[in-house]
Amino acid sequence: MSVLETYDLSIRFGGVQANRDVSVTVGEWEIVGVIGPNGAGKTTLFNMVTGFYTPDTGRIIYRGRDITGMPVHERAALGLGRTFQNVGLIKGATVRENLITAQYLQADYSVVSGMLGGARSLRTERMLRTKADLLAESLDLGDLLDTQVAGLPYGTLKRVEIATVLATDPDVLLLDEPSSGMGPEEAHRLGDTLLDLRQRFGLSIVMIEHHVPLVVRVCDYVYCLDFGEVLTHGLPNDVRNHPQVVAAYLGEDPDPAVVELESQLESLVEGG
Amino acid sequence: MGAPVTVTSPDAAGPVQEVAEEETPAVTRPGRFRPSPLGWVPRLVVWAVIAWVVLIVPLGHSAIDLQDFTRAVCYAIVALSLNVLLGYVGQISLGHAAFVGIGAFMSAYMVTTQGQSFWIGVLAAGAIGGAQALVLGGVSLRIRGLYFALVTLSYGLVAEENIFQIESFTGGGAGQQAPKPQWFESEWRYYYLCLGFLAIVLLLDWRLMRSKGGRALLALRENPRVASTFGINVRIATLFAFVVSGVIAGLAGALIAHNDLGVSATTWNFNLSLVFVIMTVVGGLRSRYGLVIGGAFFALMPYFLEKIPGLDNALAKIPAPFDLTPELAPLVVGPLLLLLNLIQFPGGIGQQLRPIARWLGGHRFDLHDRGLKEVQITDVRA
Repeated sequence: MSVLETYDLSIRFGGVQANRDVSVTVGEWEIVGVIGPNGAGKTTLFNMVTGFYTPDTGRIIYRGRDITGMPVHERAALGLGRTFQNVGLIKGATVRENLITAQYLQADYSVVSGMLGGARSLRTERMLRTKADLLAESLDLGDLLDTQVAGLPYGTLKRVEIATVLATDPDVLLLDEPSSGMGPEEAHRLGDTLLDLRQRFGLSIVMIEHHVPLVVRVCDYVYCLDFGEVLTHGLPNDVRNHPQVVAAYLGEDPDPAVVELESQLESLVEGG
Repeated sequence: MGAPVTVTSPDAAGPVQEVAEEETPAVTRPGRFRPSPLGWVPRLVVWAVIAWVVLIVPLGHSAIDLQDFTRAVCYAIVALSLNVLLGYVGQISLGHAAFVGIGAFMSAYMVTTQGQSFWIGVLAAGAIGGAQALVLGGVSLRIRGLYFALVTLSYGLVAEENIFQIESFTGGGAGQQAPKPQWFESEWRYYYLCLGFLAIVLLLDWRLMRSKGGRALLALRENPRVASTFGINVRIATLFAFVVSGVIAGLAGALIAHNDLGVSATTWNFNLSLVFVIMTVVGGLRSRYGLVIGGAFFALMPYFLEKIPGLDNALAKIPAPFDLTPELAPLVVGPLLLLLNLIQFPGGIGQQLRPIARWLGGHRFDLHDRGLKEVQITDVRA
């Protein structure tokens, strides 16, 4: 049974068709790769799935439920967790604080009772802290718990970010370029981590990734996007050797206007 | 900060080393530092001095001086209120005098015109403070940064010119009477009452920041997108923070009103809003003790200047188009301190005192522990 499906998602920013009729299916416990040249609309797809953008047309189905118009935080509550291309962490806080903040939905007390220091809130807080520590230990981040996030190397940030998303207790993990900023060695280890996490947490994973060896090793299925459309999809090796995929990667550059607009939109939403 | 990542425990040198099931040698992180019993002595002395200054010293002063001290306590509450917006939500309010003023008028109105008790007045002040903040919070969901600052600025001006001129509510130009509550008629009792309220606000603020609500606010201030992927409802969290800030501001207003025994519209002007913002930033965003000190410092500035002998005469000799009075001091000293803040000390007084505060809390004294890194400078730009 598929966990996450999108049907014919399309979105247009001004004159640019960022996504056109993108249909993707993610099965239970599957790791799905999304590849494609810069500006192909991969992150746009993520933004629609997680709720930052509303598609012009198309539907998003999560475990049989239509979540197309649902706000971001409600989707998070359903179990959609995501990371960001440029690291989605609270930079001013320590690793532990990030991990505790991310457990917002598991903190089973009202904000007001937390403010009044109710017994239940105090108990829950201790539990959250323990969970954060355990999670960090299990991801080899134990030594960094009290370190402020700002200032950590990029590759480490990516790992901290994955730990943070896991702290939100997701069913489906959407990872935006998890291996960026990592060397080949580190990227290889990331592959192991992802496979391990899938098993331990029972996750389905969708990842945007440029590092082809990682994709081929880890992914069960791959979608290749180009100019906002699904160019081809299939098993990793088939997609890698698909002539159109090769052409898309090595051929002419994508329309600079698309790249420009996407980055502008990104920064608009970011800086808003 | 620069602590070694791992150290073997001192016991490891013992004769028998018990190795757990695993082969790897037991590595422990440095345990939390706890001062020795002797180490507590100087700490307790400093605590005692602080308690003496806050609780005992004011008793030796005249009623008029005590009124100033009480105002300092109220300003500290205002700083804590504004900190919720500036420090936690990341929105600047240039109309905070109106937030506080409306609470002052509400309490005075309830007590004098409606004949209710002081406690009802305080409750009403908090309620109306929260309600008006909720409305502005709704605005802040659409507008951020300087534009929102402009909205609050105009709200403050409208409040001063219009809301505070409604005769039946504020008593018009003559203002509204605000007697001190029963049992707290004397200045020193009222001073302790305000201290009690300050303690409650501090406690609430502390618990808020140690629970999920406060963490949600810090997360969304830095990155609303990330916060929403944590499942935080950004709108509700923002509105909640505004209400908290408004309730505290209303409370502070009520306390100020009854301290002054009356309220008049001219008090709650733009200058005061500016002083509120400056004292909050100079005190140190997100630093409770910094905020209390900042608020008290700015409230007491005229008081201390008046104590300087001959200052009045010296000021009178300076040719100026208007009268120079100690009341203007916060508006002169404040911006200077603010500049210093922007250039050198983004964390304000709180940042400077952090090593001492940590030491008082039973940690090691570390002069370089300022608890701030470059990212946090960004919010002073507000």
